[in-house]
Amino acid sequence: MKRPAGGVPMSGWRNRSGAPTVRDMTPSPLRSTLLHRRVLPALALAALAACGGAADSGGPRFAYVTNGVDPFWNVAGAGARAAATEFGVDVDLVFPEGGAVDQKQKLEDLLIRGVDGIAVAVIDGKNMVSFMDDIAGKTHLITHDSDAPDSKRRCFVGVDNYACGRACGELLREALPDGGKVALFVGRLEQENAQLRRQGVIDALLDRSFDSTRRDAADATPSGNGFTIVATRTDGFDKSLAKSNAEDILVAHPDLAGMVGLFAYNAPACLEALRSQDKLGKVEISAFDEQVATLDAIAKGTVLGTVSQNPFQYGYHSVRILNGLHAGDESVLPEGGTLTVDPTVVTRENLEEFRAKLEKDIAAGS
Amino acid sequence: MNVRGKVLGIFGLLVAVVLFTGFMNPRFFSADNLENVVQRTSLYGILGIGAAFSIVTGGIDLSIGSVVGLSATILPMLITAGVPAPAAVLGVLLIGALLGAIHGLLITRVGLQPFVVTLCGLLVYRGIARRISGDQTLGIDDEALRSLATGSPFSIGSFDVPAPVFLLLIVGVLAALFLGRSVWGRWLLALGRNPEAAHYAGVPVDRMIVVAYVLSSLLAALGGVLFALDIGSIQPAAMGNFYELYAIAAAVLGGCSLRGGEGSILGVVLGAAVMRLLYNSIVLLGIPSQLEFAIVGGVLLLGAIADETVRKIAGKRRAAERARARSQDTTS
Repeated sequence: MKRPAGGVPMSGWRNRSGAPTVRDMTPSPLRSTLLHRRVLPALALAALAACGGAADSGGPRFAYVTNGVDPFWNVAGAGARAAATEFGVDVDLVFPEGGAVDQKQKLEDLLIRGVDGIAVAVIDGKNMVSFMDDIAGKTHLITHDSDAPDSKRRCFVGVDNYACGRACGELLREALPDGGKVALFVGRLEQENAQLRRQGVIDALLDRSFDSTRRDAADATPSGNGFTIVATRTDGFDKSLAKSNAEDILVAHPDLAGMVGLFAYNAPACLEALRSQDKLGKVEISAFDEQVATLDAIAKGTVLGTVSQNPFQYGYHSVRILNGLHAGDESVLPEGGTLTVDPTVVTRENLEEFRAKLEKDIAAGS
Repeated sequence: MNVRGKVLGIFGLLVAVVLFTGFMNPRFFSADNLENVVQRTSLYGILGIGAAFSIVTGGIDLSIGSVVGLSATILPMLITAGVPAPAAVLGVLLIGALLGAIHGLLITRVGLQPFVVTLCGLLVYRGIARRISGDQTLGIDDEALRSLATGSPFSIGSFDVPAPVFLLLIVGVLAALFLGRSVWGRWLLALGRNPEAAHYAGVPVDRMIVVAYVLSSLLAALGGVLFALDIGSIQPAAMGNFYELYAIAAAVLGGCSLRGGEGSILGVVLGAAVMRLLYNSIVLLGIPSQLEFAIVGGVLLLGAIADETVRKIAGKRRAAERARARSQDTTS
């Protein structure tokens, strides 16, 4: 076989032997390629669609869209499902895990698919306003968990994150009357709910006035009232990074008095870090949300308490309101456009009661 | 099997996903949905073409996602600082090209492996993006500029042709001409196949490798600009995470060999389209989102298996034909 001059095949359109490619394309294997490629994936997709596709009751269909993947959203999803069962409607739970771009694409796809209403936890309520307005023009749109207040969404279902942050800070403040060094841990600080919670914790610890518009810079180390916030560490929702962040802070500040986990997995990560350094019980932890590890630790006394946002209520009320709007009933809309879900501060005193209710809620949505 | 066969194969996969999704949910063929898919394919396709350049040299560019994140972060910062939009875009593209040149020089002059250089890039640029923005969400509200990613210059019937598709066309045609028709493209493919042989054949190997990484990062920066304009909201810690893997998957799916020396721009664009179609069809068919990665990975794996099987069958037939031809030669 002749090679092109220079000893190397100089064209990408030739195969390794240097022969023109067209000769290799005997028709029959090519046809079988296309057949294979059409049939195999199609079969796989068909099988998946058949076994995993959403049920269809023929009634209205709503979509409950979160801002990521987390056990928190499973509880919220249970609430959405419970409402769907109660009102005889269908609900799709959609968990975008790739940030704002992914959330936007999934919302676009849901509009194409055709839904009768969407409840979404907006990742960026400030800059996604025009996109939210587009959706609101095409279907009933409400927000939950994190709001886009300037958009044409019909209402918002969620807690007051600043107040929740203050409640979380109060837990620590009561346990540490002499103050001390405190470190905060969070997934992302770009989210408004994270910023509000963080500010609430700091303001409660430092005994500042109730002002949800106040913002300490992300790398600030404010101090007062005997407390110093030594750091706010972010982990981008990486659970193992959350643990190593906590470990590193413990090494850097051997005299750390308190840790605050602002996202659901942060307090369990702090617990693991304390355990690995044999400091369990020597540093106080206050938490957010109701992960099993957090609740177990409250029972054992290694976590002071947690602020539950009652995610079940997010899901339940979102679907209830969407169903009302779909039926033309505007009275389901809360006054002022915000349905404030009351948080529950869970400590050792009310733990059993809280757990029983949580289990009942999840059972109702399964 | 050759590159052209692979391109036909990926086209077959594309047709299969399109037909299947459209059959299951006819809304798939609505103009709005096709606009969405074409628009997304354009954005991810541009990244894929960039990845293809490093892959045909036998290298890899793992920094693409972080370059997307960094350029998406710098763009709104420049605009907020009062830099005119065209200058800001140009500045971001220049930064991208510069980063690519640094990668290329570290690989050729310092002799580091592409994997190591670009992995460090992945980490460093993410860190820089988060630091300069203070982890704050950034926004772009320049509607004229945003129309570059979200707008539509004209319509065909009810189908509003998305603006980025023209950028993909320009980039794709230039890249295809460069890779398939120019002497530089042949040099790239040659050095990807066998750098030493290419060197002895007079190919400026080092310079061409630098060019490949400059193109990769330049296109990643362009992608970052478009993603930023598309969404209008930039989370510096998350923007573009894992996009290098989408880009590499599109390139490999489209016929680029990770061993280097093989690649087709058309194939890469089709590969990016298949990836986006799969994500689109998962929502349209109401498949639980937990299965998302499993389905995308499963279909890619089936594609690879079908590809390899056909390659083997074709290889055997060719060998048999050659043997027959040889025996005919000797008998005549």
